[in-house]
Amino acid sequence: MEKTPENVSQQAAAAEAPLKLLGSWASSYTHRVQLALRLKGLEFEYAEEDLGNKSDELLRLNPVYKKVPVLVHGGRSLPESVVILQYLDDAWPHIRPLLPSDPFDRALARFWCHFADDKLGPAVGAVFASTGSEQEAAVRQVHENLALIEAELREGAFKGRRFFGGDEVGILDVVLGCGSYWLAVFEEVMDGVRLVDADAFPLFHAWLRGFEALDEARDTIPPVDRLLGYARGVRHMLLGLAGAGDGAAAPTAAAEATAPVPAPAATDIAVDI
Amino acid sequence: MAVEKNNNGLQLLGFWVSPFAQRCHIALAEKGLSYESLEQDLSNKSELLLRANPVHKKIPVLLHGGRPICESLVILQYLDEAFPEASALLPSDPGARAHARFWAGFVDTKVFECGVRLWKRKAGSEPQVQARKEMVEALRTLDAELGDKPFLAGEAFGFVDVAVVPFAAWLVSYGRLGEFDVEEVCPRLVAWAERCGERESVAKSIHPPEKVWEFVGFLKNKLGDK
Repeated sequence: MEKTPENVSQQAAAAEAPLKLLGSWASSYTHRVQLALRLKGLEFEYAEEDLGNKSDELLRLNPVYKKVPVLVHGGRSLPESVVILQYLDDAWPHIRPLLPSDPFDRALARFWCHFADDKLGPAVGAVFASTGSEQEAAVRQVHENLALIEAELREGAFKGRRFFGGDEVGILDVVLGCGSYWLAVFEEVMDGVRLVDADAFPLFHAWLRGFEALDEARDTIPPVDRLLGYARGVRHMLLGLAGAGDGAAAPTAAAEATAPVPAPAATDIAVDI
Repeated sequence: MAVEKNNNGLQLLGFWVSPFAQRCHIALAEKGLSYESLEQDLSNKSELLLRANPVHKKIPVLLHGGRPICESLVILQYLDEAFPEASALLPSDPGARAHARFWAGFVDTKVFECGVRLWKRKAGSEPQVQARKEMVEALRTLDAELGDKPFLAGEAFGFVDVAVVPFAAWLVSYGRLGEFDVEEVCPRLVAWAERCGERESVAKSIHPPEKVWEFVGFLKNKLGDK
């Protein structure tokens, strides 16, 4: 499309339209979009969705999947977090790009984002939803997946980098980062399960610490005690155990755990990466 | 379009019936890019394939100047970005691009994955019956999205059409495995498939539905639940 004066100003006008994000506080997919908007310095209205009682607005804006997050901008409703992140780059190309500029590097970033959602995320979800030998197999799968990422950091595509995006965070940092906090939370909730050993995955570990130290990440990721309470509640529901586990849960966590919410599918809640 | 030396340095590792490989063939043809097509033996994977895609060991893989790009939708976007002078697959409007990516992803997660369960799980078993319901719903959704538009991308054939059209050859198989009438479930999609089939890029790249059905029989035999 040619950059005529007319469509440049159309694009500029479109960029000025207000942003609204429908999300859920414990959804790492939602966190990805919140973090990206903060990185780009874009103002947005946030609407919290009760996933046990989805709003008419959400069902209207995302009829295909009925999930959060959904970004509303200039009359468009955009579901799917990785689609949204790329949209933000397309609509605001000159502000803090999330994707690198070189086509081959962009392809690598997209490949690993897909890996995160297609392989690593479901593997972590499987660990959380299972017990015994089934869980052991799922843990091994997580380790295999983390080992692949560790190898890229050590000697592959991301060798020597502070972040996957280079000196600054990029799309893959946002995708992996918003979700990797669940690894430590799940380890805490499930005794004896080791997911992200600093000895086994030193570079991944270091990257994660660096990511979590960023101001924008701290503003986006919920406090760990809320995440723990949420995870305990979900674990109980998934395994149908009533009142089991660590009794040190705070009153608010217990309330969340016992709230009348229908058992969510693993992909519906924050059991993702 | 000038005839490029060395096929633009492009090689495509593919497999004849794979819809994911076919997306790439169609994209390359649409963009008028010559390339070397390297058919792979998936029962005996080559060193080249294993080195090019060590993570998944799958086709398609595009090699450009020897550097590998994996995942069909990643390849399609790479072709647009590495060859900007050749006609674009993705539209330029950000919202339209998001729409294209969304629906391409939908086909992967809702149609293809469901299709695997349809042939893999034992016919009539609970998971297979569940897969039938999901496939019908997915095809109805896609049919509704197409609506009265000539193409999924709108007035002109585009990225999302390239992403979806290889699955058109699987509709007959899905209908047989799922015991539903394809014409009744997604009539507009059927007409769209015929329309797309008139394009040279598509006609050259996809195989007839009966050939796909034959292949499905082979898959069921080899990998399906007994």
